[in-house]
Amino acid sequence: MTTVTSNVRKQTIARAMAEAIAQEMRTDPRVFVMGEDIGQLGGVFGNTRGLFEEFGPERVRDTPISETAFIGAAVGAAADGMRPVVELMFVDFFGVCMDAIYNLMAKNTYFSGGKLSIPVVLMTATGGGYSDAGQHSQCLHATFAHLPGMKVVAPSNAYDAKGLMISAIRDDNPVIYLFHKALQGMGWLGTEPASIVHVPEEAYTVPIGKAATVREGRDVTIVGITSGVHHALKAAEQLEQKGVSAEVIDLRSLVPLDREHVINSVRKTGRLIVVDEDYQSYGVTGEIIASVVEADISMLKSPPKRVAYPDIPIPFSRPMEQWALPNPAKIVAAYESMVK
Amino acid sequence: MAVDIIVPKDLWEEEVEGVIVAWLTEEGASVRKGDVVAEIMVKKVQFDILAPAEGRVRILKKADEIIRKGDVIGRIE
Repeated sequence: MTTVTSNVRKQTIARAMAEAIAQEMRTDPRVFVMGEDIGQLGGVFGNTRGLFEEFGPERVRDTPISETAFIGAAVGAAADGMRPVVELMFVDFFGVCMDAIYNLMAKNTYFSGGKLSIPVVLMTATGGGYSDAGQHSQCLHATFAHLPGMKVVAPSNAYDAKGLMISAIRDDNPVIYLFHKALQGMGWLGTEPASIVHVPEEAYTVPIGKAATVREGRDVTIVGITSGVHHALKAAEQLEQKGVSAEVIDLRSLVPLDREHVINSVRKTGRLIVVDEDYQSYGVTGEIIASVVEADISMLKSPPKRVAYPDIPIPFSRPMEQWALPNPAKIVAAYESMVK
Repeated sequence: MAVDIIVPKDLWEEEVEGVIVAWLTEEGASVRKGDVVAEIMVKKVQFDILAPAEGRVRILKKADEIIRKGDVIGRIE
């Protein structure tokens, strides 16, 4: 007698991140974790739960509220042979530690003539939608992707979250690991069910710098990252009702950027919409469009469109914030304006 | 024999409601005893719900449903 049983093991992004870090800590004694409330609390976004209990305070270190000090310390520890995973609780707090990030972490390999590697993973929470206002809701994708010397990754689901974290820890370069709060699976931040997916128990990697086609289509390419992917998938469903076949690409990494993947899709569809919860001007949306236009402008049937955050500080008021955020309806409207 | 998946009565102290944040398995999937099958949230604090036995999962209360201590949210068959 045989019965087919599925062995589905769903995880939230928070759990997948913690599992990835734990598995790397078990096999590599150089890996340790630092940050505010990442120890006994397990991280305010749940992504270090269980680590303190398993590895203790020596390798899972709660720090004082001084990003300047502890991110600087992580960069130094990495230069000295360790592999720190350090958390900047909200990406919005980058101001006080930016010297350590972009003058030291990003550049010391170059300044040492390649003698030093700085294998820091800096994980940090992005995104809004839950009325936490302008100092706790930004994405700042372009701020980090713009500065050379660091890789930048950002998962939209738990499978990629685990694989990208393991890749990031094993990478000899500094990696900025952006995780969106609304995809984290922490109920009070709003939970996106589509980010909770099957995650294999064993360790595996998702390559840094490779985009993924998460839905195939013929008529338009919609490119997004983190929350933008979920908006795009919902928009694609709505477009399907109208007889439009949308392809959705999850960038997964911003540095290196998988331009080829986007270009190949647009070559097929002839239309491009880029979705980003980061500010519009000088941002990811413009970079993607420029990459396609530079490759071959003749493949575009209509001017490309952006659905990004307007160039304003993020409002606290719920109606005002919801007005400003990208959403599926804005993507559908962008498509309709292209084919008018 | 079926075993109920129950929200433990002593999981939190006050008489307040919680909510199922997510099922970490799905209808009909097989689980081992002790696997985390669901996450619930009570006032911003999250708790794991573990499989009380090995077997196949039957989901009785879906994600986003309100729950109270002692509620049966599923069954292992």
